[in-house]
Amino acid sequence: MRAAGPTGMDLWQVLLTLAVAGSGNAVSGSEATPAILGRASQSLQRVNPGPGTNSSGKPKFTKCRSPELETFSCHWTDGVNHGLKNPGSIQLFYIRRSTQEWTQEWKECPDYVSAGENSCYFNSSYTSIWIPYCIKLTSSGGTVDQKCFSVEEIVQPDPPIGLNWTLLNVSLTGIHADIQVRWEPPPNADVRKGWIVLEYELQYKEINESQWKMMDPVLSTSVPVYSLRLDKEYEVRVRSRQRNSEKYGEFSEALYVALPQMSPFACEEDFQFPWFLIIIFGIFGLTMILFLFIFSKQQRIKMLILPPVPVPKIKGIDPDLLKEGKLEEVNTILAIHDNYKPEFYNDDSWVEFIELDIDDPEEKTEGSDTVRLLNNDHEKSLNILGAKDDDSGRTSCYEPDLLETDFNASDVCDSTSEVAQPQRLKGEDLLCLDQNSQNNSPSADTAPTTQQPSVILAKEDKPRPRLISGTESTHQAAHPQLSNPSSLANIDFYAQVSDITPAGSVVLSPGQKNKAGMSPCDSPPEVVSLCQANFIMDSAYFSEADAKKCITVAPHVEAESRADPSFNQEDIYITTESLTTTAGQSGTAEQAPSSERPVPDYTSIHIVQSPRGLVLNATALPLPDKEFLSSCGYVSTDQLNKIMP
Amino acid sequence: MDDKGWSVKAGSLLPLLLLVSDLLLCQGVASLPICPTGAVNCQVSLRDLFDRAVILSHYIHNLSSEMFNEFDRRYAQGRGFITKAINSCHTSSLSTPEDKEQAQQIHHEDLLNLILRVLRSWNDPLYHLVTEVRGMEEAPDSILSRAIEIEEQNRRLLEGMEKIVGQVHPGVRENEVYSVWSGLPSLQMADEDSRLFAFYNLLHCLRRDSHKIDNYLKLLKCRIVYDSNC
Repeated sequence: MRAAGPTGMDLWQVLLTLAVAGSGNAVSGSEATPAILGRASQSLQRVNPGPGTNSSGKPKFTKCRSPELETFSCHWTDGVNHGLKNPGSIQLFYIRRSTQEWTQEWKECPDYVSAGENSCYFNSSYTSIWIPYCIKLTSSGGTVDQKCFSVEEIVQPDPPIGLNWTLLNVSLTGIHADIQVRWEPPPNADVRKGWIVLEYELQYKEINESQWKMMDPVLSTSVPVYSLRLDKEYEVRVRSRQRNSEKYGEFSEALYVALPQMSPFACEEDFQFPWFLIIIFGIFGLTMILFLFIFSKQQRIKMLILPPVPVPKIKGIDPDLLKEGKLEEVNTILAIHDNYKPEFYNDDSWVEFIELDIDDPEEKTEGSDTVRLLNNDHEKSLNILGAKDDDSGRTSCYEPDLLETDFNASDVCDSTSEVAQPQRLKGEDLLCLDQNSQNNSPSADTAPTTQQPSVILAKEDKPRPRLISGTESTHQAAHPQLSNPSSLANIDFYAQVSDITPAGSVVLSPGQKNKAGMSPCDSPPEVVSLCQANFIMDSAYFSEADAKKCITVAPHVEAESRADPSFNQEDIYITTESLTTTAGQSGTAEQAPSSERPVPDYTSIHIVQSPRGLVLNATALPLPDKEFLSSCGYVSTDQLNKIMP
Repeated sequence: MDDKGWSVKAGSLLPLLLLVSDLLLCQGVASLPICPTGAVNCQVSLRDLFDRAVILSHYIHNLSSEMFNEFDRRYAQGRGFITKAINSCHTSSLSTPEDKEQAQQIHHEDLLNLILRVLRSWNDPLYHLVTEVRGMEEAPDSILSRAIEIEEQNRRLLEGMEKIVGQVHPGVRENEVYSVWSGLPSLQMADEDSRLFAFYNLLHCLRRDSHKIDNYLKLLKCRIVYDSNC
């Protein structure tokens, strides 16, 4: 009667139950008692006051599960408070619907044991797939819980078995490896015949970690796991579920994966200072800086890297010295270079700048340099006078006057436009001088020689034909100009400024004769034609004979022209000649006779006012040829002083 | 004498010829190359037909499961449909095997015919399901697209099964028996709750039946093609 093996507590429960039963069924007698006791014992066996006790007090279904779609079992919790309540008569009844009709009878659970405590196991004969079931839990006759389901919905497979792994490959660095994990489906699931289709989920983690990494579900029974570190140990587990179901089964046992150790020659993956990168970036940065430096200071670098090609220097002549303007020194230097002299200081430039009067005079009347000179201020004229310090120390042959008058030596004979004008006339004057000298001296040899510098000038320079032709053209051009003395002021001659009068007017040296209306060198057309006919235009040389022919006529003209110099008061230009002529007119008779008298070849210079303004004495003076020749027509003051008496 | 001998020979030759032709036919059925779908008078091997049928049934079951889950998630939460799902499916009248033993015991011709019946039974409901889901307000595209796909695949599976039946049982042609579906009015009910329950029920039944067909076909494939040596 007494339950076997109960605990003390259980014993008290039994006694209590018996007492209640006895009290309840006092009438029934002793027959009912065994049945009650039997039930009580059964319920006692079922009762398990363990930790799973439902605190709410009511039995409930926990889950129903089919592992292989062939059987299923249901579990519930026992909600009985330990001790007090009647633990017995928890029953499970089921009903299944077949052929569109529910069977009327609830059937009781066929197996309360096989699935453990508080469970009901339905074997394959009781299991029908795709058939709805309803189960209910009764306790002491009263339904405590009810549930309906279909078996295919409660499938939760058993865990896979037979996990193993194989090494697939090891990375080249020797750090990572891939493995292939294989397993077998749970043995009770008939996957082979296709009755149930399972899909599996693999999880792995390092041994130290707590979080499992999941992979996507697969339908096959093997799966590769990539990129495992060789120096770590891993655990792998697999669980399965029926395809298109949501609930997974239990996990399999964890598989311990111990990968082979790394080879000692494997490179470490530790962070190393990236020397290589630093070197590369350093070189790059330096290169960038270098380029910036090069391109920013281009000139200096260029000078350093590519020194400029030195300009050829002329030996012995210092351009600065020429600029400085110590004429004595320059002269001595020039004297050294005998042959180079004419070409040296007889630059083509100032000859080049001689403008030809071939052009229309109307053009020249507009904004000519002469006009500009005329219109300029006093200061500007001063500037003009004092201007221009060109580099090469070209000196003119006939500029002692300028030196005396505090001009920069190199100025006047420079190839400037303002100065070039007188050059042209200078050429004329040369011609004139030549003519005069030649005319006066029977020995034309010396005269040309003395004048040779000028003639040489005339000869050797290429533009001399231009010069000559210029003179001729001026002759021609001057012819219409002569007719209009008033327009003489507008004649665009290059006149060399020799002095500035206190009144503020500029004294021109060579242009005097023209301004005065005389063009001593401008021979009348007859002379021109005569000269022209004899001249060989192409020739750069002006022969003495030719010159003589011109000269013969010229002085006459010159005398005539000089006879009445018309000093135009309106002219701003007052040339020395005009002054002298006026002075001569006023009272100075020196010039007149000098002008009328034929000038010998070698004459002494009476008055040196300007390069052109050489008033020659009638008497011929022995001139130191050498000096003249050496200076190539350039006569320094000292030399002049020597020459002059 | 000669005539008798001839006749005897002819008599013995004829079954021999039949046997040979039968063997040839069987072998030929099993080993003919695959021909493109839609080709007339084309013999595809049984293995390929079963492979295709299994693929289709597998696919249909996946779609119907997803569709049911989607519907359940969207509309059926908290309505307690599952407790009411007694599942009076219209195909329940068909006596299909209810577990593995029964499925293995049934003759495969019968099983094939059952499969055909179930597939035919679903033609109509699937068609109406598509139209009714389209008519739902805020018709979820996931459900609608799947319904359309299932309907098409079901038709293809039916054709495939008929081909299989034609090969396994040539000449045997049963009447086209199927269960009539009468659930259309319930799908069109004005009451939202009832209508949703009707949908739920229909989708539940669809999932169940697709699972059934998938299992049957796999069993059959193992039995017929691999001779139970899967």
